[in-house]
Amino acid sequence: MASSSSPQPQQVNVTDLDVPQLADVRRQLEEELSHLSNSYTQLRQAQAKFRSCIENVGQVKPENKDKTILVPLTNSLYVPGKLSDTEYVIVDVGTGYYVKKTRAQALKHYESKVEFIRTNLEALQETITKKQENMNYLINVLQMKLQQQASGGKDAKAG
Amino acid sequence: MSNISTEKQERNPRGIPKAPFIAEVAEFLGPDPNPENALKEFQAALAKYRYMDQNLAQRRRGLEEKIPDIKKTLSMVEFLQERREGKSPANDEDDLDDDLDDDSNVGKPLTTTFELNDTLYAEAELEDTDTVYLWLGANVMLAYKLPAAISLLRSKLEAAQTSLASVIEDLEFLREQITVMEVNTARVYNWDVKRRRELREKEAQEGKTEAAKVG
Repeated sequence: MASSSSPQPQQVNVTDLDVPQLADVRRQLEEELSHLSNSYTQLRQAQAKFRSCIENVGQVKPENKDKTILVPLTNSLYVPGKLSDTEYVIVDVGTGYYVKKTRAQALKHYESKVEFIRTNLEALQETITKKQENMNYLINVLQMKLQQQASGGKDAKAG
Repeated sequence: MSNISTEKQERNPRGIPKAPFIAEVAEFLGPDPNPENALKEFQAALAKYRYMDQNLAQRRRGLEEKIPDIKKTLSMVEFLQERREGKSPANDEDDLDDDLDDDSNVGKPLTTTFELNDTLYAEAELEDTDTVYLWLGANVMLAYKLPAAISLLRSKLEAAQTSLASVIEDLEFLREQITVMEVNTARVYNWDVKRRRELREKEAQEGKTEAAKVG
């Protein structure tokens, strides 16, 4: 039966599928939906992180230059110090590369990352909505079939 | 009625009860054997062992994470201490070789790149101070003088390493006890099956002889 391999019920006539197969497809859709929702949450978290990086870059400004800060040397060790360089920050651009950028460049870098994630989030949201609609349609057909079966069974008993 | 009395059980150094190894099942169960009870108690003991095993495995993972962190912090503080000692030769009584010290280190503050955020680093200059701040967890951070910090970190590291060693020992001990318990369960069960079979055969025999007598 094509139902087990087709990802979208609309490509196969759903009303042709019988109840266990419909239940199968529905389970598959639910799994996909939860996976997509997870990805959505993770993207949101990544976006929040980049936004906070933007804020942090904003903190490394010349007015803070001579203020004493607590510099973390390890996870649990802090030493008092001062910002020595307020023009440049080092950004981890991935795959083991660290780039020394000016604050403006770093801001641009993080903002473009936030923008990129935003477009991905939108596309993902659309996919999630479509899958949700598919699943609702499928559930409707499943309920119809169940009713048919129940009424068909009753007729068979009565008759 | 069971012979698994907790007062007579041996315990390992940290209070984990030792599982009794049943050499002879009949002798272990005593004059009025109740294998179902015994099996139930074994299962309960097994469940406790397994729960402890999980707990210890978790503790061990936590410790294995903390120890490298403590080592790093300790070596950083020791490094800061060394630099400080190198920079203030006048304060030390018996520093004879400070004239040979690398002059470029003396008087120049330390610049370091530190982590502002996950992908963001900035440069800062470390002040020359004899105080470091240690994050002790649970929203608690304390300031320590360098020597005090070093001794605190050393003792923390030792304590963590000893805990880790004892947790690993406990885990191994638990593995043994779990195996012993599982073997016991299997033996009591098999003994019970054998006994029931023998009883049935005996009754069948007696039934036949009685029928023969009557008939």
